[in-house]
Amino acid sequence: MTFRRGSGFHLRLLRENSRLNAALESCRKVNAVMASAPIAPYNSSPLGNSSSQNASRESLKMEPLADVTLLPGEERVIDKDIIYICPYNAAVKGKVFITNYRLYFKNTDSETPVTLNIPLGVISRVEKMGGASSRGENSYGLEITCKDMRNLRFALKQEGHSRRDIFEIIFKYAFPLSHGMQLFAFLSQEKYEENGWNVYEALEEYRRQGLPNNEWRVTFINKNYELCDTYPTILVVPYKATEDDLRKVATFRSRCRIPVMSWFHKENHAVITRCSQPLVGMSGKRNKDDERYLDLIREANGTTKLTIYDARPNVNAVANKATGGGYEGDDAYQNAELVFLDIHNIHVMRESLKKLKDIVYPNVEESHWLSSLESTHWLEHIKLVLSGAIQVADKVSSGSSVMVHCSDGWDRTAQLTSLSMLMLDSYYRTLRGFQVLMEKEWISFGHKFASRIGHGDKNHADQDRSPIFLQFIDCVWQMTKQFPTAFEFNERLLVVILDHLYSCRFGTFLYNCESVRDSNNVRTKTVSLWSYINSDTSLYINPFYTAESSRVLYPVASMRHLELWVTYYIRWNPRIQHQQQSPVEQRYKELLALRDQYLKKLEELQLSDSAPSSTHLTNSSTPNAATPNQHITHLQTPF
Amino acid sequence: MFSGKQTKPTFKSYLPPLQTDLKKSPQLPIKKLEAKLLPGEIVVNEANFVRKCIGADSGQDDLWGKLVCTNFKVSFISHNSLPQQRFQCTHRLLGEHDIPLACVEQVVTVNDVKGKQKILGSNQKLKFNPTELILYCKDFRIIRFRFDEAGPESAKKVCLAIAHYSHPADPQLLFGFEYVGKRYHGSAGERVNGVDPGGGLQTPLFDCSSDWDREIKRTGASEWRVCTINQGYFISPSLPEFFVVPVSLADQDLKQYACCFYSQRIPLWCWNHPSGSALVRMSNISDPQQQRKVEQRISSAITKSHPLRSDVFKSDLDKNLPNIQDIQAALLKLRQICVIESFEESEEKWLSSLESSRWMEYVRTFLRHAVEVVYMLESRHVSVILLEKEDRDLSCVISSLVQLMCDPHCRSLHGFQALIQKEWVMAGHRFLDRCNHLKKSDKEESPLFLLFLDCVWQLWNQYPAAFEFTEVYLTVLGDSMWVPVFSTFLFNCPRQRAEHSRDFASSKSIHLGQDQALRFPPVWDWSQQFSLKDQTLFNNPLYVGKIATCLQNGTVKTFTHRRSKKNYSSTVRGLPSLMRNGSLGPNDTLTRRNSLVLRLRSDLSQVREQPETPSERFVRDFFSRAVDLQGLLLPQLLPSHLSVWKLYFLRWVPEAQIPHGGPVTAFHKLSVLTDEIEMLQNQLRQYKGAAGTANTSHAEHSKMYFKATSTPQQCPAPPEYLSSSFPFSPVGNLCRPGILGTPLSKFLNGAKIWLSTETLANETI
Repeated sequence: MTFRRGSGFHLRLLRENSRLNAALESCRKVNAVMASAPIAPYNSSPLGNSSSQNASRESLKMEPLADVTLLPGEERVIDKDIIYICPYNAAVKGKVFITNYRLYFKNTDSETPVTLNIPLGVISRVEKMGGASSRGENSYGLEITCKDMRNLRFALKQEGHSRRDIFEIIFKYAFPLSHGMQLFAFLSQEKYEENGWNVYEALEEYRRQGLPNNEWRVTFINKNYELCDTYPTILVVPYKATEDDLRKVATFRSRCRIPVMSWFHKENHAVITRCSQPLVGMSGKRNKDDERYLDLIREANGTTKLTIYDARPNVNAVANKATGGGYEGDDAYQNAELVFLDIHNIHVMRESLKKLKDIVYPNVEESHWLSSLESTHWLEHIKLVLSGAIQVADKVSSGSSVMVHCSDGWDRTAQLTSLSMLMLDSYYRTLRGFQVLMEKEWISFGHKFASRIGHGDKNHADQDRSPIFLQFIDCVWQMTKQFPTAFEFNERLLVVILDHLYSCRFGTFLYNCESVRDSNNVRTKTVSLWSYINSDTSLYINPFYTAESSRVLYPVASMRHLELWVTYYIRWNPRIQHQQQSPVEQRYKELLALRDQYLKKLEELQLSDSAPSSTHLTNSSTPNAATPNQHITHLQTPF
Repeated sequence: MFSGKQTKPTFKSYLPPLQTDLKKSPQLPIKKLEAKLLPGEIVVNEANFVRKCIGADSGQDDLWGKLVCTNFKVSFISHNSLPQQRFQCTHRLLGEHDIPLACVEQVVTVNDVKGKQKILGSNQKLKFNPTELILYCKDFRIIRFRFDEAGPESAKKVCLAIAHYSHPADPQLLFGFEYVGKRYHGSAGERVNGVDPGGGLQTPLFDCSSDWDREIKRTGASEWRVCTINQGYFISPSLPEFFVVPVSLADQDLKQYACCFYSQRIPLWCWNHPSGSALVRMSNISDPQQQRKVEQRISSAITKSHPLRSDVFKSDLDKNLPNIQDIQAALLKLRQICVIESFEESEEKWLSSLESSRWMEYVRTFLRHAVEVVYMLESRHVSVILLEKEDRDLSCVISSLVQLMCDPHCRSLHGFQALIQKEWVMAGHRFLDRCNHLKKSDKEESPLFLLFLDCVWQLWNQYPAAFEFTEVYLTVLGDSMWVPVFSTFLFNCPRQRAEHSRDFASSKSIHLGQDQALRFPPVWDWSQQFSLKDQTLFNNPLYVGKIATCLQNGTVKTFTHRRSKKNYSSTVRGLPSLMRNGSLGPNDTLTRRNSLVLRLRSDLSQVREQPETPSERFVRDFFSRAVDLQGLLLPQLLPSHLSVWKLYFLRWVPEAQIPHGGPVTAFHKLSVLTDEIEMLQNQLRQYKGAAGTANTSHAEHSKMYFKATSTPQQCPAPPEYLSSSFPFSPVGNLCRPGILGTPLSKFLNGAKIWLSTETLANETI
């Protein structure tokens, strides 16, 4: 494969069948590249050459797809001559191949390859463009809207309803759930050495934090999802709260999402708890059990006032009373302080991202870039989320326990708790810790991935869709920009995570909560994204990482520092250099290798020096000693 | 939106806790508080018991001390010290709290009891006793002193002195003259102030013909020669004594043409592209009757000097670029939003305010224009004439940017300094007027050099491994404009330097001897300002230099960049027919590279409404290939890919400081690794040098500011003091004025831009 050479790319596979193995391996290499560094619609990398190297692979089912070897479990569905209307240059004649996992396009009209390789899960909408009688060149075809900030247009010949079959097939396989079929994650036969589903074990993670202890206990009350069907089975609650208390509190919290402990500060014992809004309603209902329960949280480490961070703008919280929700009033919760963080709801975020797409795709709005960017409010929302998380982290590190909620406690709440933990706890800034953080705060606590992303579902206009998780990853990216040495993982990891948020190749981000995941046997029937990631961690390691155990990271949540993540949002534009790796990272790795080589050489020299057989330096004409010397002369002034 | 409560944690720890005894007594032993003076520096006035404001809100961190005005600087001397800032570079000419008078933009005095304030100019009267003095500095700092305990008269006097001495009536009153003049008195020693003008420096100053000869050789410009007709500045007042012209033009012709050009500026050769195309700068032809003839003669001479006899393309800068007033206005607006306006209030509209300042737009415009010129040289193989009315402002920016993009030599430290020497200092950029050192004419003031540095920074930011220097270097270079002792930034042209030197010398009975001018040190003599250790902050650990090591497939490889002529000659073979008078031929095709775009486009229908221009195609083609850091570099020009130069513009803003963060943390790691590699190389070398060449300690020679520890393999933890402002610090450098709790912005309501004098004067009672 010519995508990438280098030893770091090998996937350690379970040795079952050596012949199959070889095929699988090359196949994964390709796909790893495809997924992690998605190929721009207009691509100049020499993709095409790879087929010659693998000419002998007759065994493969799809001969024309020779350079894109299928995933295990992936099957060819259809292929067709088509014209890809690239927004940057011109129409490109070629062939499109549809499998049950991807759409692959390769041009046939030129030696210079133009390819597209898109997991069908990325597609949010497929439309017919033009009619059989449309005039004009390339006016009859398909328009595909993707979830990852791009659109694709294909043109077909107008004769004989040529697009009907391809339209139907894309529609069916892009939205399998709407057609009574399975998501690809359940068909995939990929195997990896490590089982990524074991990355996060709730009890183990709580033990790492120092729990349970005499302030906090683990409860299995939700073992069968009876207390709350969107919470995980294992919960940590105040030691003094009885199971009965928990049940009573559940009646007063939206969707029974009671306050539970999520992070524990080892030194000052302050905690981050998370929950949903209280069911106060128009009449201003009170609930003694809830009030007492919050007091138990407060008392656990002797916090004088429990700070409740309501992620919503004040008005939204008030408006929620109309639908039975609300917020903790001063009268009822005298030992609590309520702070509104002014973060807007999922609809606002969706519209904001839509506006952002308008100014970056296909072309960057050049004439009034900065004010256009401002008018999308995307960075402003990022800023509010980050500054909310900073307040939470600051409060906790100063020794006060906090409680975070929004309306249901699965969108903004997850953003705030996970980001503040990222600031407080350096473990979450490691490659593994970050996986744990996402598994815990997002996946196990029921961020509604299925609803927010719309996996395999044709209803693109669904009002439940929203880029909440993307926004979280963007915030993480902003933090890595401000603290380039504080995170063990690099930008590439974040991009890969987002790519597979949509791809449906792994089970990690499927479904809305743990109970549904259980009933669909996700852990046994699908592969975890972390199996894939952890099979070659070298790709995702930030070479600048410096482990620091106790530092709280406070990013500056100011428009002066927040930047648009151009390497993600504007990555399809061919006018922008596509780099596999940041040049600075690349250079640092080169230097590291250089150092190691010098060290080795030095060791050899010292060894030969101290060895009794070695006579004198006059004997340095031995090849062993001469070689490094020659190098040194070349290396006189490298810097 | 960004309430006080929210901001708190974001910058809470920028000050380590102070060991404050809150009520510091102003009664200090004043005997020892003496200003450190440089040779030629004299104290003009001073006031005791002055308070320097440190924090923005409370006065608890303020320092007590003496405020001194000399003929060089405003100095504040205090027994208290700021919280430990080990990293702060010690400036050899300036103390921790000193501000050179040339750096003072505006002197504002305030009486908060009477609610009065006034901007002080030279020789003005002050009808009230100031309680506060605010100095707005050209480098974006705002320094504030309070006189609560100082005698009202002495406070007034020192303010007036500062105002007066920051408006020198004559260039010779700029401190550099006294400073440099001193060395000619007393000891006959050649290096009185440790200055060694030019000598010992690796940077050519282009004040002699040999420097130009070397540049001609270096760029292979064999059809060009050094011309000496302006020796003694007899032909043109603003040209250097030596410059380069086509060999086909005789001195006699040049003398004849000179009178047709604005200020007799004969066109100047800047640089030769390896293909033989030349970059030339030229002023307008003032005599319209001669215009065509002279233009033709010049063009044909340039054509003759081209190996392919290619025609000449003229690039009219005045038509395509903003003028100097536009640029000045942009900087003032940028300063307004960066440091004057309240941080929180300007957050919401930050991006649109940034846009309306137009600074970023201008940066982009200049970069884009430079790219156009590069396209002509690189792809069309034609020579380019940069045409500007006076050829002393916009051309400086464009010609240096073009060379920076094309010529890797200009990205080395000495190459970059030589570039500035050549295209700015010798070409006669009016530094004296553009810096407005005499505060005589605001209309002439314009931050072209800073704009250039910002453009360089954008390139640096996109290709950090291609430059030998760091952004600290660029920032410090910008700041050096306001230290008025360097030959580099004091004069409008070489002739002016010579004249003022002569005048000053005769008035002070100084014998210049062999010298043409006083030996002002060039700014390139960095040891004037910084210790060797601090100068290592300029060295970029990422730099992939001419001879650099890289690792390929596990083996160390050395690669040397060669600018092979062969390469170029093979590519120019298929050149399109000559382009007459710079107009582009209709069947303009890219022949140099196998453009895949071209082939794609040839047989397919067009999607874009506007066809791509050849230069756009050239840029796109560039970005589709891997970048050779020792080759051509083009900046990414999409507005989304240009950023604000935060280190320069936001370094003083406490709210914008990222404690323990910022790019410097990665820089630290890189430096340590690079240092370790140097150390290993030395050790390996010792094996070679058998008999053991003098085992000089590594630390002395290290090029890195941050050193590896003695136990390598283990990266030392980043120092506590690192922040995004490193090596600068906001502490005490940005006191947005508030008068008894009233922000000055309210006070100055309606003053939209940087405290324009008119606006303020109107409000003055």
